[in-house]
Amino acid sequence: MFDLARRASLFAATAFALALAAPQGPALADVPESSDPIKLAVLEWTGQHITTYIAGQVLERMGYTVEYVTAGSFPSANGTADGDLSATLELWNNNLGDYWPQLLAEGKAEDIGDVGLDAREGWIYPKYVEASCPGLPAWDAFLGCAELFATPETLPNGRFLEYPADWGDRATRLIVENSLAFESVPAGSEGALIAELKSAIEKQQPLVMMFWAPHWVLSTVEYGWVDIPADLVEKYSMNKPHTIKTAWPGLKDKWPAAYKLLKALKITNEIQQPLMDLVDNQGQDVREVTAKWLDENEAVWRAWVDQAMM
Amino acid sequence: MTGPAAFRAWGRRQGGKAMALADHTLRPRGVLGLDLSDPTLQAWLMAAGVVALVFILAGFAPWLTKLPDTFVVPLNDWFNDAMTWFVGVAKPVFRAISWAVEFPMSWLQGLLHWLPWPAVFIGVAAIAYRAGGRRLVLFSLAAMLYMLVTGYWAPSMNTLALVGVSVPVSLAIGFFMGLLAFKSRAAERIIQPTLDLMQTVPTFAYLIPILLLFGLGPVVGLIASAIYAAPPMVRNTILGLQRVPPEIIESGRMSGCTSRQVLWWVQVPSAVPTLMIGVNQTVMAALSMVIIAAVIGSFADIGWELLNTLRKAEFGRSLLAGVCIVLIAMVLDRISRGFAERQAGVRDHGPKGIARYRGAALVLAAMAVAVVLATFIEPLHEYPRAWEFVPKEPLDAIVSFVNTTFPATLEWIKVKALFFFLLPIQKGFVAIAKPTSWGFEVTPLVQVIYAVVVAGLAYGASRIGGWKGALAVILFGGVYFIGMLNVPWPVFFLVVGLLAYQAAGRGIALMALAFMAFMLLSGVWHQTMVSIYLCGAAVIVSNLIGCAVGTWAALDDRVSRVVGPIVDLLQTMPAFVYLIPVIMFFQVGDLPALLAIISYAIAPAIRYTEHGIRNVRPDAVEAAQAIGCTSRQILFQVKLPLAVPEIMLGVNQVIMFALAMLTVSALVGTKELGQEVYRALTSADPGRGAIAGLSMAFIAIVADRIVQAWAAQRKKALGL
Repeated sequence: MFDLARRASLFAATAFALALAAPQGPALADVPESSDPIKLAVLEWTGQHITTYIAGQVLERMGYTVEYVTAGSFPSANGTADGDLSATLELWNNNLGDYWPQLLAEGKAEDIGDVGLDAREGWIYPKYVEASCPGLPAWDAFLGCAELFATPETLPNGRFLEYPADWGDRATRLIVENSLAFESVPAGSEGALIAELKSAIEKQQPLVMMFWAPHWVLSTVEYGWVDIPADLVEKYSMNKPHTIKTAWPGLKDKWPAAYKLLKALKITNEIQQPLMDLVDNQGQDVREVTAKWLDENEAVWRAWVDQAMM
Repeated sequence: MTGPAAFRAWGRRQGGKAMALADHTLRPRGVLGLDLSDPTLQAWLMAAGVVALVFILAGFAPWLTKLPDTFVVPLNDWFNDAMTWFVGVAKPVFRAISWAVEFPMSWLQGLLHWLPWPAVFIGVAAIAYRAGGRRLVLFSLAAMLYMLVTGYWAPSMNTLALVGVSVPVSLAIGFFMGLLAFKSRAAERIIQPTLDLMQTVPTFAYLIPILLLFGLGPVVGLIASAIYAAPPMVRNTILGLQRVPPEIIESGRMSGCTSRQVLWWVQVPSAVPTLMIGVNQTVMAALSMVIIAAVIGSFADIGWELLNTLRKAEFGRSLLAGVCIVLIAMVLDRISRGFAERQAGVRDHGPKGIARYRGAALVLAAMAVAVVLATFIEPLHEYPRAWEFVPKEPLDAIVSFVNTTFPATLEWIKVKALFFFLLPIQKGFVAIAKPTSWGFEVTPLVQVIYAVVVAGLAYGASRIGGWKGALAVILFGGVYFIGMLNVPWPVFFLVVGLLAYQAAGRGIALMALAFMAFMLLSGVWHQTMVSIYLCGAAVIVSNLIGCAVGTWAALDDRVSRVVGPIVDLLQTMPAFVYLIPVIMFFQVGDLPALLAIISYAIAPAIRYTEHGIRNVRPDAVEAAQAIGCTSRQILFQVKLPLAVPEIMLGVNQVIMFALAMLTVSALVGTKELGQEVYRALTSADPGRGAIAGLSMAFIAIVADRIVQAWAAQRKKALGL
């Protein structure tokens, strides 16, 4: 899993790194710059928990005190702007609402770069639907099968399950503005989206809905993405959601090294997805899972620490 | 009620002659047996004319059906500007409060986490023993064991810390507000409507202002729950102080007390039993806020656990977490009620005098021993994860079993409920009846048949309930025909205004009109109509089922013993838990929302009906028995009519509960005021949230006033 050569070079790299070789080793001379706890927002989904606990545990091993604060979406935005939260990691621009972009634009919260996830968004259907609609995932075949997805309320149109109303209505606009034979129904919450997916699969019923990857539920089901034509994808910005890290603007002055570390932090699908599986499908504790990951992947995170200490 | 009065009331239900005789007035009868000189009836006949006119005019003036956006007053922006200004000025003060309140909270949280679980067991058991004896001890121990074994110990302790600090804050605020209202008429005039708003504006609506003022932290949840939980304490404080017999106060004065001394040494102590009821209600209200506080976060409590499981649609886990909340609520309820009854002198389980302190010392010593032991024996300090037992799979399996075994039945229920109940009320029979749904098109002939059927039903209803019964049928028939969303707003104004006027007088009618104007002009009329449609449908079903079950429980003790705990469970289990299976069975839409609302709102219907029937004056029943009524006649012609005022209070509660559930049903995608509140939350638009929240409160207040007045009228008419 790790690159030995890189690991060796890292070991030799700096005195800082050596000092850090022992987990929870003595704090570095300049770190922490302040003994106040760095507060990281714990939002509502597992991927974000993994990203946050990895970041937090690296910070702890650098000698910082870290506090994990559970927060909803709006409270986290407000908290990050006020400094009640030092950083909120892994925000998805596809379900951000209006407030976060506004704060970032006004400079009340700072965008400190991409998380590193290779995210995807689009319309998914359970794999077995291909049996009753053979042309899938081709767009024309999908449009031809509209009636297959119909329910009593939407007849003769197909039923399309849309994101909750407060996440935006891009799919609905695509459907309405292009007069597709579908009627979009907003889900109301992420739980509702997943409950519908689980239920449809149990009953082997047709379902098409707006969704995104990586998501833990996708490792438990067989599914396909509808091939939406490139011009529509472009027009309704339905290609790649990106995931960003945000920080309280005061972070870089109060804890410069921690700020640089969070900037350097990169969590890829390869890191996140197996851990998500351990937590969501095997019921392990997220803190234990990330601590174990840190023990086994020192090379990866020590590279971030190096960047932070430069 | 005296014997003859009861008999008269009974006689009134005997239809035609007996009714007229009992009323002492034989009025001339007009068309169809209607008394056209009755001014209330005249008003409705005139209203019918106006309604017809509005429908004709609506064809030419579409603004009668939907007010154009240009008329909408930008209340929203005004509110936001005011809010921004206020936050700018007052933020430091509120942040200081926030900082100060956080201390006791994190201290209590720290204490509960530091104490090893056996010590908490001992402490709670001791309190339970003082409050309710051995049975309560066993129950509390079982409840705590459940939290421990299912792995929810830590979040449960956080919840306890939250409640432990928010309840005293609510009690203090509540007591002093109550005292103020008791002392000063002017203060009472401000406090009473404030209480209504505190209890009816959904918490989500004021989360944004609280967050902006106090900043992110556990304090936000605390303030939110303190606001919601204080009103019962205020009400009970006022009531308790008012009920102190004047002789006691007199004797206080005579022994030379100053008025301050009379208050603190005489009035307050005499009011303690009522105050304790307020404490109990406040505890329960604070607990019902746990889940709401979790949405803000910053406190990893049991509500947060529940929200996480909801997000993953894990029914089994969410039910297990939900049961923790139910158990905490039941233990706290029994304990606080136990103390309340002890204060009232009903019973006392504790030892007296010096033995009491000996007992307390013994408990503290035992807790200390537990703390010491736990430092050596790790499982006593922290319950090992390996010993946890989380039976979530069987629970999930039950849902899957139903889902996969009866898909056709579930589909049938859904289709029937939608086409024959929900959709007509929402969009109208005219729009919904199609060959695919009802089996026919709405032709002019069908419309005529519809009118004839409604007229027939109205006639039938008039035989039971007079012209008011017929009116109810006609109103419902009209709504069912054109749909709630297509009712022109002037018609709605007229009907509600007239109802309010006749039931509760001019003041309430004017208030109702002002509130409706607010909703219309602030641009949330459509959402208001959706809310009323959804709540109305839920209220109808809840009352039909609830009254039937309540009646059955009142007649059969065995049924009552089964129903009682179920009602407790329905009221304390966060409704979020039911959302997952309901969505799995019926898919996202109005039906899951309706079922979620009913699951919560049905409880008071059952409870009040049972209570009402059980508490019918025995002399009325005996009188009926004496003249040879069958038990069926006694039920339908004596007990039920006499229980009507109480049942009406149940209806009132059902309406309040249904409205409170709108913010939960928004999670299944409904487009009502609750959804507005959510969208305001995610777009940080406090003005939008405030408007939607106030609209919900206004609906609740108007409905409350009308139903209360109506119940009072019935009560008076029955001579109760």
